[in-house]
Amino acid sequence: MGAPLLEIKDLHVAVDGTEILHGLNLTVNAGEVHAIMGTNGSGKSTLTKVIAGHPDYEVTKGDVLYNGKSILEEEPEDRARAGIFLAFQYPVEVPGVSNMYFLRSALNAQRKSRGEPELSGAEFLELVKEKARLVDIDSGLLNRSVNEGFSGGEKKRNEIFQLAVLAPTLAILDETDSGLDIDALKTVADGVNSMRDAARAFLLVTHYQRLLNYIEPDRVHVLLDGRIVKSGGKELALQLEDKGYAWIEQETATA
Amino acid sequence: MTAAMQNLFEHAYKALRKAQPQEPGWLSELREEAFENFRALGLPTIKHEEWRWTNLKAIAARDWQPAGPTHIDEAALKPYLIPDADEIRLVFVNGHFAESLCKLPPLPEGLVVQPISRVLESDESLHLKLARYAEQTNPFTALNTALFTDGAYIRAGNSLTVETPIHVLYVSTLDEPAEISPRTLVLAGENAEIRVVESYAGLGSSARFVNSVSEIVAKRNAKIRHVKLLRETDATSHVGWNEINVERDAEVTAHSINLGAGLARNDVHALLAAEGAHCNLNGLVLGHGSQHFDNHVVVEHMLPHGTSNQLYRAVVDDKSRSVFAGKVIVRPGAFATNAQQQNNNLLLSDDAKVDTKPQLEIYCDDVKCSHGATSGQLDPNAVFFLRSRGLDERAARNLLTYAFANDVIEHIRIDAVRTYLETIMAERFAGLLGG
Repeated sequence: MGAPLLEIKDLHVAVDGTEILHGLNLTVNAGEVHAIMGTNGSGKSTLTKVIAGHPDYEVTKGDVLYNGKSILEEEPEDRARAGIFLAFQYPVEVPGVSNMYFLRSALNAQRKSRGEPELSGAEFLELVKEKARLVDIDSGLLNRSVNEGFSGGEKKRNEIFQLAVLAPTLAILDETDSGLDIDALKTVADGVNSMRDAARAFLLVTHYQRLLNYIEPDRVHVLLDGRIVKSGGKELALQLEDKGYAWIEQETATA
Repeated sequence: MTAAMQNLFEHAYKALRKAQPQEPGWLSELREEAFENFRALGLPTIKHEEWRWTNLKAIAARDWQPAGPTHIDEAALKPYLIPDADEIRLVFVNGHFAESLCKLPPLPEGLVVQPISRVLESDESLHLKLARYAEQTNPFTALNTALFTDGAYIRAGNSLTVETPIHVLYVSTLDEPAEISPRTLVLAGENAEIRVVESYAGLGSSARFVNSVSEIVAKRNAKIRHVKLLRETDATSHVGWNEINVERDAEVTAHSINLGAGLARNDVHALLAAEGAHCNLNGLVLGHGSQHFDNHVVVEHMLPHGTSNQLYRAVVDDKSRSVFAGKVIVRPGAFATNAQQQNNNLLLSDDAKVDTKPQLEIYCDDVKCSHGATSGQLDPNAVFFLRSRGLDERAARNLLTYAFANDVIEHIRIDAVRTYLETIMAERFAGLLGG
């Protein structure tokens, strides 16, 4: 088991004055894949956004440590440069900004901040070719504006493509599997599986156990009303698929 | 109207009449009639509907004198030339022809690129063309006809295609406040195709009033790509009228790119005068400081099967202001007209201001017309998305702003000009396109 990469301690988060997370605890070690499951409105997306540093989410109590250091005061770009990546549940369309231009700017901004040389156009193209193959993304999409006019599946593939190019240390996937057909789902899973290694961790937020048939998690957590109420191995996901969430709600209520 | 206002431009008019004794009789008469018109009309005020958002106090407050000819070095001109452009260039300094700054390679037969002052000497038929298109009932058009000292005359003969852009540079350099009235006439004969860039630039800090009129005429099946590029100083009030006349099956694509001026008002009037006439009228405003840009566009569909597209965008920062008023008129009988109009505004600061008024006037059935306007700030989700990939906030905002503005620039189909504008914008939104 690797060292703790992400440690969330008693995290309380509010949006527009309404508290969404009520004391969440979670530790993800380097090399692990964790799945967070839960019903709509349980706080899953809030958790991913707060780790990535979305300015609308206010941490009222608790802490988030990355590599042992609190990141709550860090800007989103600093977190990204430190290796945190969020694949968006609803990828944003950016009209007029080509995928290639955007991604090269992002990668070079990250490399620069780490003291690595920026990639030349040719080097970047080489990298892009390799990663595009990996996530099976249509090369025509790469020269188009970011996500503009993309289908739902293409948008999700594009998130995984960015993940592959930026190669973060902590990758958070917010319902990347939602709405995907089985081919696209397998592509996403293949992309993630090929990137698994001892230094990198994944946090998969999902509604559906189906994704976990293709990406085997080390731990599964159930998020309910802003707290993690149950954790277990991959068999927990199967149980949820089978029985739904009601039994956990009851179990939590009587606990 | 005050007594002072009644005498507006009288001194300038008298001085110019004295300085131009050699002019042909028809032009003197034309000027006289135009100045009479101007006297009767006076300067519009904010009580006029078409001027309600643009106050002309800065113009009305002075007894403007016409700018005199002067010399500038080619080096001073450099920032306003289009880099890497294989161009034909006419330069006017303070409204006077500056031959030494021009670039006039041997021209193909049928192409005339000359200052109007020379054409007056050589072409007696000019009186059939000049001031035949722009309405003389507009005070500024009338004033320009009365006061213009010189300007570009561009004529492409029938079936002539000229891919080299023709760049007309009107530059002013002043130590004392003065008025300059540039005049442009662009004529593309039947089946001809030409590309014209008209740019306006200023040197020196003195106040000035630039009042330009351009008449742009595309004969049957002709194609004109036109760009008006405004890079005036903050001490400049610029008023310009572009009269576009499109004949059968002809197409005019005109861009109005507003990068600088203290106050600028651009009027575009496109008359789709015959069947199957097309025009694309696009515009971009990049405002900062206390700049004020006002774009008024009227497209008139007279006969069937015409199309018109308008895309105007403004990015306003600091306390700058952008006004857009666009009107599409479909006259009775202009059936199967297809007209679209879009105005989008991006406000980068709380003190910036935008007024927009898209209008349709349709007197005909069986037409397809749409229009829309949006005003807002940068999408915070898009900013967050870019930051979450590692771009800092400034770079993220600049990239989105650049993309918003570039949507207009990318429609410019004069390659050297488009590339040049992309570079200017990248510099404006610093940190872009580097590396």
